[in-house]
Amino acid sequence: MRPTPPSNAFWLRTLLAAIPIAALTVAVPLVNRIEPRIAGLPFVLAWTIVWVMLTPAFIWSIGRLDRHW
Amino acid sequence: MSGHTVALTIVATVVLGTILFAFAGVRRIKMDPQQYIVGGRSFGTLLLWVLLAGEIYTTFTFLGIAGLTYSQGAPAYYIMAYGTCAYVLGYFLAPAMWRVGKERGLLTGPDFFQTSYNSRALGVAIALLQFVMIVPYVALQLSGLQILLHIAGYGAYNATTSTCIAFLILALFVFTTGLRGTAWASVVKDIFVLAAVIFAGVAIPIRFFGSPALMFDRIAQLHPHMLVLPPGTAFHGTVWYVSTVLLTAFGFYMGPHSWNAIYSARSGDTLRRNAMLLPFYQIFLTLMLFAGFSAALIVPGLKGTAVDQSFLLVVQHYYPAWLLGFVASAGALAALIPASALLLAGASVITKNVAGGFGIATSDAARTRLTRALVLLVALLALAVWLTAQRTVVELLLLYYNGITQFMPGVVAAFLWKRATAWGVAAGLAAGLAVAVPLAALNVSPWGINAGFLALAANVVVMVAVSLATLRQVRD
Repeated sequence: MRPTPPSNAFWLRTLLAAIPIAALTVAVPLVNRIEPRIAGLPFVLAWTIVWVMLTPAFIWSIGRLDRHW
Repeated sequence: MSGHTVALTIVATVVLGTILFAFAGVRRIKMDPQQYIVGGRSFGTLLLWVLLAGEIYTTFTFLGIAGLTYSQGAPAYYIMAYGTCAYVLGYFLAPAMWRVGKERGLLTGPDFFQTSYNSRALGVAIALLQFVMIVPYVALQLSGLQILLHIAGYGAYNATTSTCIAFLILALFVFTTGLRGTAWASVVKDIFVLAAVIFAGVAIPIRFFGSPALMFDRIAQLHPHMLVLPPGTAFHGTVWYVSTVLLTAFGFYMGPHSWNAIYSARSGDTLRRNAMLLPFYQIFLTLMLFAGFSAALIVPGLKGTAVDQSFLLVVQHYYPAWLLGFVASAGALAALIPASALLLAGASVITKNVAGGFGIATSDAARTRLTRALVLLVALLALAVWLTAQRTVVELLLLYYNGITQFMPGVVAAFLWKRATAWGVAAGLAAGLAVAVPLAALNVSPWGINAGFLALAANVVVMVAVSLATLRQVRD
């Protein structure tokens, strides 16, 4: 068995999981704009792409807290 | 040689080459059910990566994303978001499903329900439901394949016969190699699809507009409404977007073939690593959005189901035949290889949960034989559905997407809510489908919300109520 993470890590990792999901769902109506264009992309598309690319970092952090790597 | 000969020869060579490569990968492996259905629970990060990503790179990626972008624009952004949200959930869920599967020696999704809720009847019911959902989903892949072969043939012939032949070859391939063959073929498929996607999303905008950014300038001038979502409760508006991303993310790991893929992992950490790495795959889907926007400028005016052909028509009109051949090959693999995983999943649930439930084919050798026979049967059924009822396939696909998500409450409850009962899960499932199917068939989205989302809410409420009302059954 792996060592159980301390209990305060439960809320931290829940938060780490919730942030990218919220950014890609409930936050989208707030950023549903064309301007400012980022590298030519409409803002809402650029926002989505950036969060897709950031998500592995969040999952990696959760994995660290869980001591899986 | 004429254009269609060149293009179709390339498609045939690539598909057969992929199958031969996969045969080479599975030589000398002895097939028992454990090996045939879940690859001996031995897949490492790479094989699992391509197998799980197979869920995303189907013909839908190839034709559907570009088609949706072409016709509506921004609503297609959801495709990048839902997979990514699903992987965050999958980091927690998939290793838990895998661990249960390993501890109890499970092979299928229905096995999970049967053992978690100690009800063979629930296992049989889930198996039959999954089977019913798989057949139209395979049939849809055939429709995609036909479009590809038709365009690769420059419209010179009706592609129905060659679609049937390609599919029967595939069924024989699954018959022989099982999940391991599918995984090896997925490696080749992904290489081809990535190359085609990069071509579609980068080379096409550069050739016609100078760069993807300049392409977006043109869209911003001519069709600015395509770049953002319609507001609020409008058709495919922001409410639809948020509810659809959440719904499809919940349902992501519930596809019958996803269970086989999860069980095939070597360890829980293999699945966690995959959850972390798979979002990078999603980035490439952006390029299909670029291809769809480009096609909207280059070949405007397509309507109805023709929008799915938009980006292929650009390739067909403006690029040489060999290039169309390679792009169509990638598309053909994107139809055939996920279809092979589905055939296997459909066959394995019937062998293990329905036949096994009635005491038929309980030895390992008999199970492998029966699964193989059923692979061919599912393939023939899908062909029959496709040939006779092509018009209703799209409606049946909505049943698939909204349907598989309804398995989710029962899975989550098995881990988190010990009072859930077999009756509760079954009643919740029935309620969810009773809401989802008519709303999906009528294409209704109340208050702009995706109908499947409301069905999921009904499912959870009924599951909780009936579980509390029924006597708790013995659960370990």
